[in-house]
Amino acid sequence: MMMFNVLNAATWGDMAKEKEKSFFDFEFITWMAWTWQTAAFFIFIALCLTAMVIWEKKSPGGNPRKGILGLDTTRGDRLFISLLGSAFIHLFWLALVGSVLWIATIICIGYAVVVFRYV
Amino acid sequence: MNKTVNQKAWFFVIPVFVLVAFNAIIPLMTVVNYAFQETFGNNVFMWEGTRWFKQIMLSERFHASLGRQFLFTFIILFIQIPLGIAIALTMPKEGIGVPVCLVLMSMPLLIPWNVVGAMWNIFALPDIGFLGHSLNALGFDYNFTQQIGDAWFTTILMDVWHWTSLVVLLSYAGLRSIQPAYYQAAEIDGASRWAIFTKIELPKMKKVLTIAILLRFMDSFMIYTEPFVLTGGGPGNATAFLSIDLVKMALGQFDLGPAAAMSLIYFFIVLLVCWVFYTLMMRNEEKS
Repeated sequence: MMMFNVLNAATWGDMAKEKEKSFFDFEFITWMAWTWQTAAFFIFIALCLTAMVIWEKKSPGGNPRKGILGLDTTRGDRLFISLLGSAFIHLFWLALVGSVLWIATIICIGYAVVVFRYV
Repeated sequence: MNKTVNQKAWFFVIPVFVLVAFNAIIPLMTVVNYAFQETFGNNVFMWEGTRWFKQIMLSERFHASLGRQFLFTFIILFIQIPLGIAIALTMPKEGIGVPVCLVLMSMPLLIPWNVVGAMWNIFALPDIGFLGHSLNALGFDYNFTQQIGDAWFTTILMDVWHWTSLVVLLSYAGLRSIQPAYYQAAEIDGASRWAIFTKIELPKMKKVLTIAILLRFMDSFMIYTEPFVLTGGGPGNATAFLSIDLVKMALGQFDLGPAAAMSLIYFFIVLLVCWVFYTLMMRNEEKS
């Protein structure tokens, strides 16, 4: 057992000391490896869903219509298309351009606006 | 009529929500977290940003396994859907033959994936397996453990054996739901067998066929156990489909970051295809 401790100290154990304890380092979820960036992403998704619920309360029915693609879409469909499309836009931006990812984010916002207005 | 507003029913949703949170939402969140970090174990993570996504998007290994995956899925769809319809058309419509056929047809569907893989592995072994030995005795140079073409042939044959029945059962159900009046009208008009098939049977089977294609697409796109037991992804990487490659990367190499990024990209592709199919199905629904 002792020997293993020594081995650990020489290798991975040292690395364990590098990281300072941050806000998300609760012992029981350290394996989830939260970062503020990913947390912000999920908070954004949660806010989107909450906004959709409030919107639905304000004007029920989901505003169904036939858009430019000839599809019957409601608000929820349009949110889904926007989010999934944004994921692909970001991925292809990373693959084809590689840097300045925030330009892809701006394209995505434009894309989402177009989807919500016309699709 | 005024309905009483009672929101207590929402409490009944809580168990499902908790269950889904534990088996889907929390693992998915963890995968997202891992996809942006590097780890050497011990719950220590280093921020890597979008590096893994870029790496996977440009990785030839990922392109290759994605290509193999699409090729496999299209081949099995191309075989299973027409074959399934053909078998459903020739199945008896009444009498003792119906239950016999249905039971025989559903047998492969009841066998667990890993058992199917093991069965076909032994069945196809070139020295002692019935299929492998027979093929070699007939003069074919067949060895699925070493030759790429043979490995693909065996994998596809296994999947066709395992899953064509599903298409058959769905198509058969679709065929049985057609009213006899359609056939009588066709007979009066003197329609040929081909005309009956293309003008009556196919349009009536459209819904079940969409479901059959969707199910077969998703199942084959996420196939893991059968090829893993049969070929282990080999020879080399020849039958390493997406999920096999993913597991190799995540558990074999312990590259959790790239594997998480790859599984997210995989997930997005699955979502996209599901959405397209769902939209097509809804459009069919609307027209009919």
